[in-house]
Amino acid sequence: MAEISHSSADDEALVREAQQGGLDAFEELVSRHRDRIYGRAYSMVRNEEEAMDLSQEAWVKGWQRLAQFQRESSFATWMTRIVINLCLDHLRKQKRQRSESLDALNEESGGVERLMPVLTVNPTERLERGELRQRIDSALNQLSHEHRTALVLHEFEEMEYKEIARVMGCSIGTVMSRLFYARRKLAVILADLKKSEAT
Amino acid sequence: MENDAHLKLQAFVDGELPEAEARVVASQLARDADAAALIAEMKFTRHALAGHEKAVRVPESRDFYWSKIRRQIEASEVERPAPVAIPWHAKLRRFLAPATAVAVVVIAGLLATQPVGVVGGTETSLSDSGAFTYRDFSSGTTLVWLSYPAEETLDDED
Repeated sequence: MAEISHSSADDEALVREAQQGGLDAFEELVSRHRDRIYGRAYSMVRNEEEAMDLSQEAWVKGWQRLAQFQRESSFATWMTRIVINLCLDHLRKQKRQRSESLDALNEESGGVERLMPVLTVNPTERLERGELRQRIDSALNQLSHEHRTALVLHEFEEMEYKEIARVMGCSIGTVMSRLFYARRKLAVILADLKKSEAT
Repeated sequence: MENDAHLKLQAFVDGELPEAEARVVASQLARDADAAALIAEMKFTRHALAGHEKAVRVPESRDFYWSKIRRQIEASEVERPAPVAIPWHAKLRRFLAPATAVAVVVIAGLLATQPVGVVGGTETSLSDSGAFTYRDFSSGTTLVWLSYPAEETLDDED
C-alpha cells in the first residue's frame, strides 16, 4: 500500500495490513495513537522518561502480539490495555525495590483519609477548564500509585470494578477501597489547592 | 458510618449496586445527612475528573519516536529463530501417508464386499502401499496387514 493511502486508511485496514507484516501500516498506527498511549503511561508513572520507554515497549509488544488482536475492542483500546499492564508491572517492580510497608498499611486501611471531614463545598466550582485540568493533574501527582491507578482506570478508562481488579491483580473489595480513599484524598487536595491559591 | 457503608455509597454513585440495593440506598439518603454529604463529595470528584485529564503529547518527533520502536522490532525479529523450511519430499510424505492409509481401507472394503461362498481364501499384496490383504471366503473374514508407513517406497523416490 502506498504511503498516501496509509494516511487515509482507517485503523481497521491498517491493522489488517500490519497483521500481514506491513511495518509501514503499523508506523501509521503508532503515529495516530502515540499521544494516547504515552499519555496513559505518563498518567500512571508520572515520569516523562519512564513513560516514553514504557509506551515504546508497548508498541513493540503490540507488534509482536498483533496476530492475537481479535477486534473485540478498538485497536487504540487494545493498545491502551497493553501499556496499562506494562505500567503496572513497572510500578510493582519499583515498589518491591522500596520499603513501603507503612504506605501499604495506610492504603488498605484508608490512613488519614478515613478521618477527614467530608467537604461540603465543591473546590472545583467556577474554574476554567485548563485550570481545572492543571489542578487535577497536580492532585493526581500527590496520590500513591495504587490510588492513582484505581482512579485513572475507573474515571479515564471507564473500567468497572471487576475489570480493574483483574488488571491490578487484586480483589474487587480492594479496588473499592482504593477508589474510595483516592477520591477522598483527591477532594481534600483539590480543596487545599484552592485555599493555597486564595491566600 | 462504617467502612462497608462508605463503599456501598460509592458503589451506588458508580452504578455498581444491584437495582434493589440501589433503591434502598436512594431512600436512605433522604434520612441520612452524612451519607448525602459523602455522596455529594464523591460526585463532585467524579465530575471534576470527567473529561479533565491533562492532555499529554509525546515530547519527541514522530520519526524519532518511531525509530526506536522500529529498531526494537527489528532486533526482536532477528533474535527469533526463523521457521524451519520443510523439504518437498517431507511434504510429499505427509500427503502420501494418510492417502495410502485411506486407499488401503477402501481396497479392503471393496474386497470385503466380494461374493462369499467360495471355499478357501486369497492373499493380495499391495506392494506399492506396503499392505497385505487376506480374504477367507468361507468365514467371510478379511485381514489386512499394514507395513506402514511405506518408507522404502518414498526413500527410493528420493
